[in-house]
Amino acid sequence: MLVSILKAVGALASLGVIAAAMLAVAARKFHVEVDPLVESVASALPGANCGACGNPSCFAVAEAIVAGTLPATACVAGGQSVAEVVAGLIGSNSCEVVAVISVRHCGGGSNAVRAYEYGGIQSCNGVSRMAGGPLVCTTGCIGFGDCLRACPFGAIEMDARGLPVIDVVKCTGCGICVRECPRGQISLLELLPDAAPVVVRCCAHDKPKARKAGCSMCCIACKKCEKECPADAIHVTDLLAVVDYEKCTGCGTCVSVCPQNCIDVLVSTTVSSASADGLGKDAPGFVSVVATASVSE
Amino acid sequence: MSMLSHYMLLFIGAALINNILLTRFIALCSFFGISNSMHTAIGMSAAVVFVMMMASTTTWLVWMFLLVPLGVGEFLYIPAFILIIAALVQFVEMYLRKYSPVLYRSMGIYLPLITTNCAVLAAATEVAKPGFFKMAMAYNYTIGEALVYTLGVSVGYGFALIAFTALRERLDIAPVPRALKGTPMSFITAGLLSLAYVGLAGWFGL
Repeated sequence: MLVSILKAVGALASLGVIAAAMLAVAARKFHVEVDPLVESVASALPGANCGACGNPSCFAVAEAIVAGTLPATACVAGGQSVAEVVAGLIGSNSCEVVAVISVRHCGGGSNAVRAYEYGGIQSCNGVSRMAGGPLVCTTGCIGFGDCLRACPFGAIEMDARGLPVIDVVKCTGCGICVRECPRGQISLLELLPDAAPVVVRCCAHDKPKARKAGCSMCCIACKKCEKECPADAIHVTDLLAVVDYEKCTGCGTCVSVCPQNCIDVLVSTTVSSASADGLGKDAPGFVSVVATASVSE
Repeated sequence: MSMLSHYMLLFIGAALINNILLTRFIALCSFFGISNSMHTAIGMSAAVVFVMMMASTTTWLVWMFLLVPLGVGEFLYIPAFILIIAALVQFVEMYLRKYSPVLYRSMGIYLPLITTNCAVLAAATEVAKPGFFKMAMAYNYTIGEALVYTLGVSVGYGFALIAFTALRERLDIAPVPRALKGTPMSFITAGLLSLAYVGLAGWFGL
């Protein structure tokens, strides 16, 4: 008995020692010389391997930046300060980071009609594999909060309607929530310019009548916003109001005229927009442009 | 039976009739996990063939010349094989990185992932203890038989994975009923594919 225990320990220990020795020799013998520039770029990056940029590790990003396949601004989480250091190291002068934030194009939540009762794993990615998701609307937010759990900055919270509310102050625009969301590819969550003043809370493209049967909060493609917009910045394309942020002046006309309260003010990045989420023209502090215009007339 | 036909039968038995994925249902995690695109499926298959051949050769040597002579093989084979496979994959990764960066890049993430792939351990176990999964008699493969057997298992793995990936890629654009879209349809497809393999059971008395 004791002998076989000793034999087993000896056999496994010797295997372990041999493997360790082999790996130690291999690590020395097969050592690959790394470009010192890659190493200095890698040390300038945050090194958290957060994956926000879509690459497997910070070191892989450093290699790609030095090789020229990624720009100096590749690190999403690092933002402007990291981009400047990296650009200095590789001698590039284009380090202007376009700040973005993540927004949700859905106002459904508890107002969205369920297609079936679901009692399984509480995960958007899980349930979206079951008959196309639990909602009648195939583009709306499922509301199990995969984005919230994925957010490394704690910028997302679920509100009373069962919708994720993104804090524009905390959001760094890393885009992890967009990738994590099973409907991120059809822009339920989308990265918008940091200064975006308004957001359309719907991303459906099916027929408005069918859409309205599945959700009372959706864009009904009535084109009121398109007609009233003084800057020609909002258009109904493929049966959905889409804002052109190049032209949008943030006057709030579309927010005032939307009969569905489907367009929200994003205020600014210095004030948390959570209080205005889903309220449209009823948001506290929002002055209806149309109402004041008619008074002055 | 001539030597050649013995090896042929061993190969066909391992690759098709006792297919590791569709008849023995080992390594199903990777079967569903990476069968989304043909590119990854081919990369994984190549890496599995490569690692399995290396791993089985090493474990066969350790089994025959260390574990059996010491008389500890019966209860020590799983920890010993896991140790060997993990160290070996690390070693191969370092070697490839130095001497074949092209191969290293093309295998990419799959090489370290295979460290914990149960198919590799299953093939190593089977090589050490033939018929283990059928609870058959004690018999030891020769090194030649071990290599042919492992090649059969890994080629069978690759074949089943690539066939399943092709089906899934077609299904992505097919009008699947809404209730079955996604994972349910994949399970049904895998079941039908497995049934096709069951049709081979018993050929050549294997």
